[in-house]
Amino acid sequence: MKNFSRKQFLKTAAGAALVMATRVFSTPLHAADKFFREPPWKRKKPYWGFAVDITKCIGCGRCADACKTENEVPREAFYFRTWVERYIIRRNGEVNVDSPNGGMDPFLPPHDPETVTKSFFVPKLCGHCENSPCEQVCPVGATFKTEDGVVLVDRKYCIGCRYCIQACPYGCRYFHPVLHVADKCTLCYHRIKKGLNTACVEVCPTGARMFGDLSDPKSAITKFYETETTNVLKASMGTEPKLLYKGLDKEVR
Amino acid sequence: MKDAQHLLRVIIIFVAALVGFLLVRSFLVPESFGKLGHYRANAVDDVLALPRHYAGEPACKKCHAQQASDKAKSSHRHMSCESCHGALQAHVDSPKTVKPSKPKENEMRAFCGNCHGKSLSRPAKFPQVDLEEHNRGMACNQCHQPHQPK
Repeated sequence: MKNFSRKQFLKTAAGAALVMATRVFSTPLHAADKFFREPPWKRKKPYWGFAVDITKCIGCGRCADACKTENEVPREAFYFRTWVERYIIRRNGEVNVDSPNGGMDPFLPPHDPETVTKSFFVPKLCGHCENSPCEQVCPVGATFKTEDGVVLVDRKYCIGCRYCIQACPYGCRYFHPVLHVADKCTLCYHRIKKGLNTACVEVCPTGARMFGDLSDPKSAITKFYETETTNVLKASMGTEPKLLYKGLDKEVR
Repeated sequence: MKDAQHLLRVIIIFVAALVGFLLVRSFLVPESFGKLGHYRANAVDDVLALPRHYAGEPACKKCHAQQASDKAKSSHRHMSCESCHGALQAHVDSPKTVKPSKPKENEMRAFCGNCHGKSLSRPAKFPQVDLEEHNRGMACNQCHQPHQPK
């Protein structure tokens, strides 16, 4: 102890701090990203997933309207938790996308239908990504993924910095003009936990929207995930959304 | 002896800083934060407490069995009552005071046309009519019953 100089003490302290810091930062991250590599019966129960069959969507916009009603989303045309886009692809390769009031207003017929080679509707909503960018960028932990795989916003804890709105590659978040917090699809968490359908699935007249428990190997959604030829949006970003599209065209962004 | 005193001082400063840090932290970190992950576990309950506006088809069937059984045999069988009649949890809660809405006669062509109007974007197999040509001016339910469409 007698020869323990100040310099030596500081050196030892710095070393100890470094060791502690390494331990803190090397803790493994959330284990949820292993989800898709686990067979269904090993997944946490329940574990919610969503699917959209583009070949069934008729673009009526009931889903967008029902979502606004159920979740008290402001009626102005900038705020949507879900909306329907129409893609029009022409012979010369031109692609037009429109979504009048999120699909709640009628889609007007194109002036030059003879140039159109194909056209279809794409309903959009939060994919509740396994590797959700919005969750990762939140500086205070106000956006989080529940144990059953739903990405939610803590309205009391959100500081309204809008970072998550920037981070979402799918544009699925907006800034709530009244509550002054980030807002997004909750997968109607207040409904599905009581055994009800999400509002959009409830009103969809053609069954183009589907949701269910991925941890149940016999559920319709698991069957859809396992047997249909599907794709996700922006797969290259590695977000692993639990929102699968059947009949997804390469032009859809 | 002098070294030990130095060490003691440093230890006191460290302990004081640690106590101060923990004290401030206990005020700033909300209850239930970190229980399930890097978030406030009670936030889940906040979301679950949000009000519901759509009752769901099973609630409708309890009283409107006739309409439900008509619909179940028709090509509208996969549709929910609230697709056309709107959100009706309020009607389920107080059936006497809150009455469900029906599409009005003069709005019916637009209402039905929302799904059945001809559009090149709709799946070809889906039943569609050209609203400009198909019996102009007539309300849809003069020929088609929405609970038993043909």
